[in-house]
Amino acid sequence: MNPVSGTVMNPESRVVLAMRGITKDFPGVRALDNVDFDLREGEVHVLIGENGAGKSTLIKVLCGAYRPDAGEILIDGHRVNISDPKRAEALGISVIHQEFNLLPHRDVAQNIFLGREPVRGPMGMIDFGKMYDDSKRILDSINVDIPVRTLVRDLSVAQKQMVELAKALSFNARIFIMDEPTATLTSREIERLFKTIASLVSSGKSVIYISHRMDEIHQIGHRVTVLRDGQYIGTLDVKEASLETLISMMVGRNIGAGEIRRRNVVKRGREALKVSGLTRHGRFYDINLSIHEGEVVGLAGLVGSGRTEVARAIFGIDPYDSGEVFVFGERLPKGSPAHSVERGLGFLPEDRKDLGLALGMSVKDNMVQASLRSVSNFGFIDFRRERDVAQGFVKQLRIATPSIYRLVRFLSGGTQQKVVLSKWLATKARILIFDEPTRGIDVGAKAEIYSLIDELVKQGVAILMISSELPEILGISDRIYVMREGRITGEFHRDAATRERIISYAMGKGREYDAAAGKG
Amino acid sequence: MPWERDVNMTPQLVRAESQPSPRARASILSKVPGVLYAFIFFIAVFGVRARGFLSLANLVNVSLQGSILAIVSLGMTLVIMTGGIDLSIGSVLSLAGAVTGLLLHGGSPVPLAILAGLLTGMVCGAINGFLISRLNFFPFISTFGMMGIAQGIALVLTDGASLPGFSPAFRAIGDSVVIGIPLPVWIAGAVFGVIYFFLYKTTFGARVYAVGGSKQVARLSGIPVSRVLLSVYTISGFLAGLGGVVLISRMNSANPTVGAGYEFDAIAAVVIGGTPFSGGRGGIGGSILGAAVISVLKNGLNLMGLSAPWQLTVIGLMITAAIVVDVMIYNRKS
Repeated sequence: MNPVSGTVMNPESRVVLAMRGITKDFPGVRALDNVDFDLREGEVHVLIGENGAGKSTLIKVLCGAYRPDAGEILIDGHRVNISDPKRAEALGISVIHQEFNLLPHRDVAQNIFLGREPVRGPMGMIDFGKMYDDSKRILDSINVDIPVRTLVRDLSVAQKQMVELAKALSFNARIFIMDEPTATLTSREIERLFKTIASLVSSGKSVIYISHRMDEIHQIGHRVTVLRDGQYIGTLDVKEASLETLISMMVGRNIGAGEIRRRNVVKRGREALKVSGLTRHGRFYDINLSIHEGEVVGLAGLVGSGRTEVARAIFGIDPYDSGEVFVFGERLPKGSPAHSVERGLGFLPEDRKDLGLALGMSVKDNMVQASLRSVSNFGFIDFRRERDVAQGFVKQLRIATPSIYRLVRFLSGGTQQKVVLSKWLATKARILIFDEPTRGIDVGAKAEIYSLIDELVKQGVAILMISSELPEILGISDRIYVMREGRITGEFHRDAATRERIISYAMGKGREYDAAAGKG
Repeated sequence: MPWERDVNMTPQLVRAESQPSPRARASILSKVPGVLYAFIFFIAVFGVRARGFLSLANLVNVSLQGSILAIVSLGMTLVIMTGGIDLSIGSVLSLAGAVTGLLLHGGSPVPLAILAGLLTGMVCGAINGFLISRLNFFPFISTFGMMGIAQGIALVLTDGASLPGFSPAFRAIGDSVVIGIPLPVWIAGAVFGVIYFFLYKTTFGARVYAVGGSKQVARLSGIPVSRVLLSVYTISGFLAGLGGVVLISRMNSANPTVGAGYEFDAIAAVVIGGTPFSGGRGGIGGSILGAAVISVLKNGLNLMGLSAPWQLTVIGLMITAAIVVDVMIYNRKS
């Protein structure tokens, strides 16, 4: 049943990598705080933690993308300085990226040896024979059967992953970092990947495996380390790591600190937004949700669970294959943001700087962008009306800008978010979709955004909020939907929602959790 | 660019679901580049409709005209394969011709004059390459500026007048016939051979494809992206200089605006030849055929009495058609 653990690794095997007291600060936030991590020869070491727990930062420190502010890294017992990605590569550390670093129009062998082609002669002539033979040999060594002359664009995601692995092997990597490698694979492909990982570790390589899937941890891991809020929580042997133990380690027990609460919980009005059976193949399936006036509905889930994709499809940025969206009982045509805006929808995207704002334009121009018709007569803009509207919002939302003519580029994250909000308030939107409304915003501004949401609810606006921050979701939402791998796995009233419960559902272990909780 | 398209936009997730294994090989017909069909089609049409098209004298003439376009298209192919563009080659060609012509008229030895012309092209190209690779200029802007600068200098140097009449020694470049084939065609063939070797047999070629495919991936693989960019623009400039030298020799006159429009024809040849603007794909074989198609087209339309404006229109239509066909094939494949 278990292709790796128990069969291969000797628990007393040598430590190949040790990270000690790693600390990394970013402006305003400590991403890693004195984190320890070690990796043994022939081991699959799973790294888990909530969104933002510090997994990615730790990996980036290890592969040379970030320099730690404190702490040391030892490889084979020797202290090393990983100054850049090239150095990491030379030390035998290789990241198998989620987005593949491959050239689609070159073949498998050309990608494996990209930038390091075997040459002969003074002109830099490529020794194609050797290149194709070596590629084949490397692929054979991990039992992968892909013709080395196939163009990468003709490969499946799983096959591309194998090419990445082969590429890493070609420069003698010993430490493989895999960040959710199974996220986009079918179950058969996952099986194959696990076999490959098994053959890697049995030849003495080591794997750091990041995953959100609890069953995988037990299937291929030897040990598991939990991070939370940038801190090292603990390392367990997978055999002693039960679901409840891991979840409580990930969530922590002191939930009371820094709680977010809404003042206004109003009686909900008409159904404002109804989504039924929304499906986009490969992204999300059979999404049903409904939001009433004066209600905040949270959409929780792990990064990559399809929340943003659903929001984009509802608003009309992306198409969907089947299903329907109704706004106040009327069917919303698909794929048309213009119609959505007309019917009273507003979308505050996760990536403000790219999708929400024109950074090189003024506060005023951004605010009226979605409602130009209301500030113009017969197509001519009424500049006075435009200015009044903008100044009204600056006052109403307490937007910290010296003038409405200030370029948005120069404003802080929280202030920018308020400008985006003004843009939708100017359209008199009745349904607002917030995607990670407080990402990259400091604590003070966060509180202001929450109180604005509070205010909007009082006015009967319906709000759909995507957030990866559990305290935010739990504190703000009247109801919460949880998504996992493109499907809604649970729906909770605010009184029934706890951190543990949402995390369990987001990781696909909701029923087990409820069963355990019911027993206890 | 209106014909630019990002082939990487297809969402990977969707592909993963629908395609577990390498897709079936395309049929043999779709492997043959479309430009070859166009080539055969035009030869057939003009063979029937244009009087004298298939005469030996005319075919030699077409290959002569096509050779210079082929030379500059080869440089353009490398540039476009890295995801860039070189709008300056027409002007650089004129400038190189003017420099060579002036030196010849001033009594310089032929080899020196030729060398100066080639060097002029190389320097212009290297400046483009420097601005693009080191100062992060957009290729469009950098080479657009060079287009004006080179043309302007060519006009200033020559006072806007043609420099006619060169020594037989210099005219030999354009006029000689070796084993029945004009020397410019041999030169184009030699350039093709050298670029073919470096593009397909050496790490230089692998780097060009890598930079065009994704600068980020190339950088992470330790490829010196800046140096690759610098070299392709320098090569493009050098080949424009070579084209200028050959052209003024053949015409026995250095006209300061003789190269105008070569950038249009060269870009057309590359695109018709199947190298897309998205970079990282394509090759020089198609560009040679593209240059041949354009030369045949111009010659045939001339013989049929259709003037330059018509030629321009037809070439423009062909570019659009080439893109449409390529997009259709690509969409069907994915």
